[in-house]
Amino acid sequence: MEIIPVTEKNSLEQDNRSVKRNEVVRTENLDFFYNPESHALKNINLSIPGKKVTAFIGPSGCGKSTLLRCFNRMNDLLPGSYLKGRVLIDNKDIYANGIRLEELRKKVGMVFQKSNPFPMSIWENVAFGPRVNGESDKHTIEEVVKSALEQADLWKETKDRLNESALDLSGGQQQRLCIARTLANKPEIILMDEPASALDPISTGKIEETIIELKKNYTIIIVTHNMQQAARISDFTAFMMLGEMIEFNDTKTLFTNPNENLTEEYITGRFG
Amino acid sequence: MNIDKFYKKKQGEQYIFALALGLVISLIMVIWIVVIILSRGLGFFWPGEIVHITTKDDRQYLGELWTEETRKEHTDSGIVKINNTQLKTGNRDVYGIDFVWINNATIKSSDKPEFAVVFERKEYGNAYGYISSVQIGDSNYTYSEEKIISIAKKAFDSAQKNHENLLDIQEQINDLLAPLTRIQREISLLEFKQNMLTPAEKKELEILKSKAVTLEQSISAPYQKLTDKLAEYTEIDRKINFTLSLADDRAVDLKASKIVRFYLPNQMNVFSKSVHYISKLWELVSAEPRESNTEGGIFPAIFGTVLMVILMSIAVVPLGVMVAIYLNEYAHQGVIIRAIRMAISNLAGVPSIVFGIFGLGFFIYYFGGSIDQMFFSDKLPEPTFGTGGILWASLTLALLTLPVVVVATEEGLLAVPRANKEGALALGATQWQMIRKIVLPNAMPGILTGIILAVSRGAGEVAPLMITGVVKLAPAMPFDLTFPFFHLDRKFMHLGFHIYDVGFQSPNVEAAKPMVYLTALLLIAIVVALNLLAIFLRNQLRKKLKTSAF
Repeated sequence: MEIIPVTEKNSLEQDNRSVKRNEVVRTENLDFFYNPESHALKNINLSIPGKKVTAFIGPSGCGKSTLLRCFNRMNDLLPGSYLKGRVLIDNKDIYANGIRLEELRKKVGMVFQKSNPFPMSIWENVAFGPRVNGESDKHTIEEVVKSALEQADLWKETKDRLNESALDLSGGQQQRLCIARTLANKPEIILMDEPASALDPISTGKIEETIIELKKNYTIIIVTHNMQQAARISDFTAFMMLGEMIEFNDTKTLFTNPNENLTEEYITGRFG
Repeated sequence: MNIDKFYKKKQGEQYIFALALGLVISLIMVIWIVVIILSRGLGFFWPGEIVHITTKDDRQYLGELWTEETRKEHTDSGIVKINNTQLKTGNRDVYGIDFVWINNATIKSSDKPEFAVVFERKEYGNAYGYISSVQIGDSNYTYSEEKIISIAKKAFDSAQKNHENLLDIQEQINDLLAPLTRIQREISLLEFKQNMLTPAEKKELEILKSKAVTLEQSISAPYQKLTDKLAEYTEIDRKINFTLSLADDRAVDLKASKIVRFYLPNQMNVFSKSVHYISKLWELVSAEPRESNTEGGIFPAIFGTVLMVILMSIAVVPLGVMVAIYLNEYAHQGVIIRAIRMAISNLAGVPSIVFGIFGLGFFIYYFGGSIDQMFFSDKLPEPTFGTGGILWASLTLALLTLPVVVVATEEGLLAVPRANKEGALALGATQWQMIRKIVLPNAMPGILTGIILAVSRGAGEVAPLMITGVVKLAPAMPFDLTFPFFHLDRKFMHLGFHIYDVGFQSPNVEAAKPMVYLTALLLIAIVVALNLLAIFLRNQLRKKLKTSAF
């Protein structure tokens, strides 16, 4: 993937609509192209606060997942894609030269739409992150695994079967395992790409509880097309359409008193 | 319109029948091959009955019933059916041929003599006859037929034991002489230079010569002792003999030590025949061949085949997997990679003899020749690695099977779910960590499929081997107990080539026919066994992975 840096002038323009807060992620004039014909993100300026849940909503194909994947550079895997503008995490441009992808992805964890446990034991799944990031002390890994499973509310269910295959878990458990796996890396930010869309309501409820619990320690950015879910768990919500950021505000305001007509039409279900 | 008519109108049913017919034809042919090989091959070791045939013109034949045939012959009075019997009469040293055809119409009498004996000999194939007398030492025994058999058995046992002792003594003598031979070889190498010796070498020559003298003196006493013993055993060996009377009452002398085994098939019951059968089968898989491969075992060929397949796998699997990983995971997917991929697939269609010629030119002449120049120059012009050998044959086959492994591994790699790869990368794994921990274990079934296909292809290949190191009779196996144990420069025997050699290059094709079937059977058995092993491993792995992607 190609990264085209923005000019100095552009980067100084900042989006000041957002509330003053401890900003963790900021995008400046972000444009993303899957290929020259497909312009997926258009001039996104966004400031995401730390230790809060921020939800991206919008109709299918609006670019919310693409934007999410810009934050841990997963889009780099797509051949032919390129990006303009800047993405800053903790005020550092993650697309600058000399950024180590492995460290970025350790710091910015990701939970995918479809749970993707590795075909290994539960324990090994959670220990995967610490191991590939160079942790070799067995005792430390054991502690990390335990605390990650506890935070993901999975410890009670799995503590007696840690050596069983992760593929034997139920769908909801598998997704919480993926959350635990991400937590084991001790990230600062967790990206969640529709983490509950493939789950039944009870499993979804559990995941949501977990997310609210995690908010205390982590910055969470979640993509969802379930507006109720966004309203239930997020502190801030961004509404996107056709690659553009239409509105970004605190959740209550966005859902009760949106500034933009499009937002109102979408949340009241007139399209989408 | 009734409902049956409606169904009859349906289109396409006859094509289903045609498809099924295709399957049936293929199945019948495969089963046919297996049945023919099994029946012709496995029946060979079952001791057949011996018949004594007297013809109307008073000719006598004794031998094993082999086959019968009916031939139509045109005569003046129309077509006449003629029944012929084929008899394996053996005694090639006496009659010159092993088999005779007898027209059934000319047979006067035919019976199954109880005391007819089959001798399997180390040379000249089987002998059929009756034991008339046995010589042990200076005494000669001539008894009734029943009694002489038990004496013959005793004589045979003691001859075998004596022969073992004899070989043992010979080995001891060789061991005793070995250091002396080595010194003498060094002396002759130095003397070969004659006037061109440096003073240091001259001195060395003197030392070696004096060493040789002292060594000779020190071993002369034990040497004398051993040669005396050897003479003693040789004398005993010489004096255990059988006298056979053949069908036509001719007497033939037979040295007991030249006999592999003897048995009386007409007296044997099912149980003793089974014992005989199993011991013959065991001989086949464990012993060395005799009689230009038409008799004895094919152990060297089995061993050569298995070792070659293993060496080939060791060479081709890592290489093929590396190629596939690079093509699939690292390379930029463009025109060049597409072209490379196509070239690799096309490589699978190149005739195998072309690979053989490449192996001869590149591995043997270029590579092996260079190795000889560098490390074995003292043995030149006698080549060490610059000639066909199991290593070069294996590498040639590895090249031949490379496309199979690459294609199968690529399929395995493609089957690894993208979600798992992304998951690993999202956890901060590097590309290589992701490949090693997620992709490779997941692609293992694909890789094993590649190995299965490569082994099946490689084990059955003969043409490229014929010019890269296979021989009809290898003087030494590529593995023995002298350091460094594996002698990969050596020529080797191979079951596939064995089939060709025994079946079509043998001086005694009729006698070799069952051997061809048996060898084919063993080759198939080995390929099936290796495949079953790989399939078993693959299933175990799949159970572990348990994803739906495969």
